[in-house]
Amino acid sequence: MDKRYIIQRIIFSVIAFFFIITLVFFLARATGDPLAELENDPRVSPETIKTIKALFGLDKPLYIQYLDFLRNMLLEGQFGYSIAYRRPVMDVIAERIWYTLALLIPAITLSNYLAYRLGIEIAWRRRSVVGSAIVSLSIIISSVPYFWLAILFLYIFSVQLNWTPIFGAVSPGVSFSWSPQWFLDYLWHYILPFSVLVFRSVFSYVLYVRNTTIDILGEDYVNVAVAMGLSPTRVKYDYVARNAMLPIITVLGLRYAFLIDGAILTETVFSYPGTGRLVFEAIYQRDFWLLQGATVILALSVIIVNLVIDLLYGLLDPRVKQR
Amino acid sequence: MMSSREYIARGLERYRELWIVFRSNKWALAGLIILSAIVFIAVFADYIAPYNPNARIAPPFQPPSREHLLGTDDVGHDILSQLIYGARISLFIGFLSAVIGTLIGLLIGLVSGYVGGIVDNILMRFTDIWLSLPTLLFTIFLVAIILRSSSYPIIYGIILAIALTSWPSVARLIRSSVLSIKERPYVEAVKALGAPGTRIMFKHILPNTTSILVAEVIYRTSYAMLTEASLSFLGLGDPTTISWGMMLYYAMARYAVVLGYWWWFIPPGLMISITVLSVMLIGLALEEYFNPRLRGKAL
Repeated sequence: MDKRYIIQRIIFSVIAFFFIITLVFFLARATGDPLAELENDPRVSPETIKTIKALFGLDKPLYIQYLDFLRNMLLEGQFGYSIAYRRPVMDVIAERIWYTLALLIPAITLSNYLAYRLGIEIAWRRRSVVGSAIVSLSIIISSVPYFWLAILFLYIFSVQLNWTPIFGAVSPGVSFSWSPQWFLDYLWHYILPFSVLVFRSVFSYVLYVRNTTIDILGEDYVNVAVAMGLSPTRVKYDYVARNAMLPIITVLGLRYAFLIDGAILTETVFSYPGTGRLVFEAIYQRDFWLLQGATVILALSVIIVNLVIDLLYGLLDPRVKQR
Repeated sequence: MMSSREYIARGLERYRELWIVFRSNKWALAGLIILSAIVFIAVFADYIAPYNPNARIAPPFQPPSREHLLGTDDVGHDILSQLIYGARISLFIGFLSAVIGTLIGLLIGLVSGYVGGIVDNILMRFTDIWLSLPTLLFTIFLVAIILRSSSYPIIYGIILAIALTSWPSVARLIRSSVLSIKERPYVEAVKALGAPGTRIMFKHILPNTTSILVAEVIYRTSYAMLTEASLSFLGLGDPTTISWGMMLYYAMARYAVVLGYWWWFIPPGLMISITVLSVMLIGLALEEYFNPRLRGKAL
């Protein structure tokens, strides 16, 4: 792979990250006084507010505050102080993000694999009954709100059938240990939120795979392969499926971002203690710094995922490889 | 020049064609009928709803009965009446934020495509970054910021936040269509006649993007309705009005799912799904009509 391509992608990611934290800073600062809640509180004296302002550097000019903000975030990893948890925001997030990543990464892998296989099959048999049924189903499922789907899963599998627990990542009182008991308990709580993410994700994606594949089926090289008398299986897997992979990889980053949105809603419904649920708690507790921290960290994860995908794309697509 | 009569005739012709699309596409027709019914319910909620949705008129947690067809919630509101009034907020926020979002996208796409060069480069990088972010997460963040700093009713903050996160895909679409329109001979001709850039952009290029805009507004409406429902569900709704998402927020907060009060959490979700689906079906049909290349592909 071309070195210039790698460097270019890395620079772009860094710019994107700076752009986002700058945007976050100015949106949060320029639109509102960070101490608005305190200033409106009659119990807090003006002197106290002045002391707090001096303490956090809020009396300095905006550009110095911005540089402080950057320094705290980049060099010290400090995102402020969570009012609800009375701890640094970063500590709270670091504790919870693993639950979310452990949901998202397997979910995106499995759902992409399933959607890819299913999409190619229904494109191959585009006029079949099953094919059109899946297309209709995917349109219907795309109109169902994520959280309501999660609620339905919760109601059916946890409340009615009593197969899975109704909340949490592990049973109350169980603490982490490297034991099969812990792992089974974790899996038992994991399966339902995971299924919601995969289910919704497969159906929101299968149409895209199908349409991409239909475009490929119209290409000349496919006609040539068929005319040469290659077996349908060979045409399907060696000519169509392989070429369908590239456009699919390009939208992986968008799909990861979409899954984060899904995780916020799903974790909220299942009271699953990841970063998604943390976003809900931050809203509920009016904990702005926690929300800001979670937003920046999740956006950062999107940028990293996009960078990895770009590099992967460079490896897979010979046109990028040679450039 | 076309006479005004000819102009009207051509417009009518276009609508007739559109009607043929709806008539031949049973899905789109179903969408149109369902959406019309929901709009009707929203407009005439005052006459249709059996009770005042904000009045405590019955004991709490009543299962469906003859007096309360969908039962009551935790404080004794009639759920059917809440459901009927909820249609208003969903349609209002969905449509308005879709229109504003599409207009922002239109402006950025037009300028980017027409001006080109470095402006195009910067705007499109900006659009790409914005597009790559998790939409709901950033909408939440924007609503939180707007809530901190404004004294406007929350509903306008929500509309603004949804609009601000929904424009990038519109900008991309408009830009690519402007790029192709820009090369057409008539644009070259107007340019040669010395028309100023803004006039060419708004008078000669903009009208040719109307079909994309119409389909986009419809599409954006369905997404905006889903986003509004998600925001309300997460507790970022306007507490002074009832929305379907908010009904589900209260249902979750009062453990309706665990307690099995299905009449409380099934109907609002069903209404959101049906409304979004009907809008999406209309959007698909319109897209197919305006872009015949897609014909027979989407459905």
